[in-house]
Amino acid sequence: MPGNVGRAMLGPFADQAAVDVLNHEMGTDRPVLVQYADWISGFVTGDMGMSYAYRSPVAPFLGTALLNSAKLAAVAFVLVVPLGIFGGVIAALYRGRPTDRILSVVGLSATVVPEFVSGILLILIFGVWLRWFPISATWADGAGPLTQLYHLILPAIPLVLILFGYIARMARAGMIEALDADYTRTAVLKGLSYPQVIWRHVLRNALLPTISVIATQTVYLIGGLVVIEILFHYQGIGSLIYTAAKKKDFPMLQAGVMSIGALFALTTLLADLLYARLNPRIRFGGQE
Amino acid sequence: MNTQTAAAGWRGDLRRLSRSASFDIGVVIVLFWVACALFGPHLVPYDPFADDLLNSLMPPSFAHWFGTDQLGRDVFSRVIVGARDILTVAPIATVLSTILGTALGLTMGYFGGVIDEALSRIVDAVLALPTVIVALLALTALGTSNITVMVVIAFSFAPVIARTVRSAVLAERGFDYVAAAELRRENTFYILFIEILPNVLPPILVEATVRLGYAIFTVATLSFIGFGIQPPSPDWGLSISSNYGLIGGGFWWTVVFDGAAIASLIIGINLIADGIEGLRHD
Amino acid sequence: MTINHKLLDILRRGRNEHENHLIDGVVREAVSRREFLRYGSVLGLSAPLLGGISGALGFGLAPVAARAGTPGGTIRFGHIVPAGAINPVTIADPGGVTILSQFAEALVLSAPDLSAVPLLAESWAPNNDGTVWTFKLRQNVKFHNGKLMTADDVVATFDRLADPAVGSNALSALSGMLSKGGTRKVDDYTVEFHLDAANGNFPYAVSTDNYNAVIVPAEMPDDFEATMIGTGPFKLEKYTPKVGASFVRNPDYWGAAPLPDRIEITFYDDYQPQILALQAGEIDIIQQVPVLQAVGLLADPTFNIITTPSSAHHQVHMRTDMEPFKDKRVRRAIALTLDRPKFVQGLLRGKAQIGNDSPFMPAYPSTDSSVAQREMNIAEAKQLMEAAGMAGGFKTTLTTEKYLEIPDYAVLIQNAVKEIGGDITLNIMDQGAYYGDAVPGKSPWLDSEMGITDYGHRGVPNVFLQAPLSSTGTWNSAHFANAEYDTLVKGYIASLDLESQRASAGKIQTLLLDETPVIFSYFYDFLTVTKAGVTGVVATAMGHIMLAQASL
Repeated sequence: MPGNVGRAMLGPFADQAAVDVLNHEMGTDRPVLVQYADWISGFVTGDMGMSYAYRSPVAPFLGTALLNSAKLAAVAFVLVVPLGIFGGVIAALYRGRPTDRILSVVGLSATVVPEFVSGILLILIFGVWLRWFPISATWADGAGPLTQLYHLILPAIPLVLILFGYIARMARAGMIEALDADYTRTAVLKGLSYPQVIWRHVLRNALLPTISVIATQTVYLIGGLVVIEILFHYQGIGSLIYTAAKKKDFPMLQAGVMSIGALFALTTLLADLLYARLNPRIRFGGQE
Repeated sequence: MNTQTAAAGWRGDLRRLSRSASFDIGVVIVLFWVACALFGPHLVPYDPFADDLLNSLMPPSFAHWFGTDQLGRDVFSRVIVGARDILTVAPIATVLSTILGTALGLTMGYFGGVIDEALSRIVDAVLALPTVIVALLALTALGTSNITVMVVIAFSFAPVIARTVRSAVLAERGFDYVAAAELRRENTFYILFIEILPNVLPPILVEATVRLGYAIFTVATLSFIGFGIQPPSPDWGLSISSNYGLIGGGFWWTVVFDGAAIASLIIGINLIADGIEGLRHD
Repeated sequence: MTINHKLLDILRRGRNEHENHLIDGVVREAVSRREFLRYGSVLGLSAPLLGGISGALGFGLAPVAARAGTPGGTIRFGHIVPAGAINPVTIADPGGVTILSQFAEALVLSAPDLSAVPLLAESWAPNNDGTVWTFKLRQNVKFHNGKLMTADDVVATFDRLADPAVGSNALSALSGMLSKGGTRKVDDYTVEFHLDAANGNFPYAVSTDNYNAVIVPAEMPDDFEATMIGTGPFKLEKYTPKVGASFVRNPDYWGAAPLPDRIEITFYDDYQPQILALQAGEIDIIQQVPVLQAVGLLADPTFNIITTPSSAHHQVHMRTDMEPFKDKRVRRAIALTLDRPKFVQGLLRGKAQIGNDSPFMPAYPSTDSSVAQREMNIAEAKQLMEAAGMAGGFKTTLTTEKYLEIPDYAVLIQNAVKEIGGDITLNIMDQGAYYGDAVPGKSPWLDSEMGITDYGHRGVPNVFLQAPLSSTGTWNSAHFANAEYDTLVKGYIASLDLESQRASAGKIQTLLLDETPVIFSYFYDFLTVTKAGVTGVVATAMGHIMLAQASL
């Protein structure tokens, strides 16, 4: 923990005596290692410490922020998963034709353009010019789910753009593999109609790699949340970490980063379980 | 596998690559920006730093193709010269991470066992956090500078490269030429870097290209949130961050061209990476 | 000017020496009318009395524009998120001040025109040498918890602020002026401030300028943020750290009934999102916005800009003890390369006053306006460089903070000194890094050869004259040490009447122009933006925003 925390909080023009008192109050005048040991021992017992900036416990801030980010991520996923899979399936069905190429280049481009570029354009077009959507993702107290959703659509779009390419690409690959597989041919030979075959066999197989993409992209998504939440003025985990970094609020910053690590472990686990449930080869692995 | 056939393979690859339109477009875009970064200051119509306060925020015109910013500086000149910092920081970060990741991956793949286990845990830990977050943490602690940005990106990208290299090395490990070198009692350094490395170069190059795209993305994002390239650089992310409040007032040209520049550079690099990767899957 | 001497004599009765001296000044026309009104308010002359004297002297007191707004409604405004917990003792940032100004009040309002207006104090007066100031408090003022505000609360408030052991942010503003124990209760509604040294401008130290000095109950709870008990026109409804707050009308307010039913505040990390939110119709007011960001709003008829002149400025310091700035001619030459009117026009869109390389901005009544304004003069600058033996130019690094238009200002200076062969490398850091530990040796702010530092508004120049420029000053980044200057400043601060203040000011201004340890090229206005049609908003350059008489 470099720098003088009290000084950083009170500003350059504050009286040295005031800075000293504050540092003493917060314990930031002790050796760094002692502070760190203190913090770690607190963390493992579930005490995430006190925020330097707000002089109140970190935990409630973290809870609200994680919940808010989860809402935003949920909206993004609900939009992007069907869209991505649909795009991938279409591309696979038109494999090698212009539709496929266009989808692939568009998907790739959408995926790599930074969120702040797409976000600013969205704010400008839909928030300021057309006024179709609120540009602030924060809703008034007591707003119902629909209002919340209305506030979250615009901020979710940059995330959708980022994820669309990945999911579409994975879905396309999974779809192609499935289309070429023996069981599809068997199914067609058995007399099932083409849409039925796609629905029953192919989609499920195409979903599998998509799930692993979602799992691996979660981390990346959280990184993207920093920018989105700042831009759309939303109190999630990304903006929590950003403000903590700006204010040198180390307990808040550490707790935020730790929780993201934990979140990563959790999503990876969930994705593995889901994958296993959906994948017959793993599910019946013991019998094959 | 010897170097001669590998070289011939490469030439064939290049020929096939140049037949892919998206790859070509990518190369053209990236070369354009590289040229801007290298020679920009000599090519632009105005000094990108020269103020002209009485002609500030002028819309695009013949005199100023992309208009002028708040200090009356020529936006076109700034966008062109703005390529310089990001195309210095991001590639250096990528090269550093590739070197680090390759060394790590070679070690993990070749030695295996406990060393591999231990290093893999570290790699997993680093991969559990988004680069932007790691960078925020590190830059808050170490202070912001181009060098810290490079180092942070290098460290957080190295694990991905290490993973790629490790699996490639595992495949090479079983080949006779490795066993032969071991029998000749060559030292480990020689085996790793002279014998194995040339054979795992292609996946490393692909991975490095992909990482370069991410590095540019990350540097731009960090600059946008104020933790990356610092003023008075005409950097794109930085310009967008200091001007985006103006777009609602109608001064769109102070932001849109910088945005297009970032987008085009990243798309260009990814088209190249995509082209190379597609080749390897064919 | 037709003077009604008879009336004036009646009015003079019971006035003390300083007050009569001021009246003499205005009669002799040594003090302008505007300055008379302003300085009279500092000395505690009541508004009716000032009006009477003005009338006797043949000029009227401008009637207060009292346009009644419509009561009711919710006003939504945005401002930068407070840096820490809301506690009047520790608040140190404009975001915190804005919140404070919703529910709490000071004894005195330092009004936008720099005059001292009674708020919780009804009147005040100094003793003869300016070491004791007596304040009469307003009666029947109730705190939000229903208790009456009395002298005990005022004494407790100031003892807390002057206590070195509680981490008070007002300590530097009060040090050398008011110590713990210096505030004494005379009766329930009279308080005496016994000062450490004579001070002619003391009312500003207990005004909104010293933003920590809001009167709160003597028994202040540890968790102040949960209740926010004050005397203000609005009572806390809900406060969510980092997110926002809401306040409701205080039905027991001592002054005119507040118009809005509710105030809804949203916090933002930056200015850009606030501007976009205003443009998208999500908020009605932005408490403050730097002019560079407000450019898009300036010419837009759907918004209204409230311009509050302020003494806020950016000091460009040059290390007087280090090359290349050891020679004062070099420092002067650099100051001469700057085209100040162009900066004000281009960089600040006209929303600033031109500075003359001293803290005495034109709006301060004590400023000696006969001191000639420094103007751009490249020929003279070149001669000075030659005389200093530096015709070949110089190289230096300008270190500064990324804040408001400072990076752009740095670029302008960098470009300007090219004219005299100056080669400046810019090193622009984030604010925290620039200020460092704020002690010499550990702070680029105090250690750099050349730098630019932001200074907030003050109603009187005292702080600007001491901390950054006196030889013992704690913020003296120019390392300027000049015994004559120190003496002049001491004299200035102790003087109680405007004429002697102005005489010292003139000498200080001339000395600083000659030495130029710090360039003051402009004092920028404080801009508050509202949706068109919003009326009655009062803002101060300290960050207060008062909406009691505001309506949409």
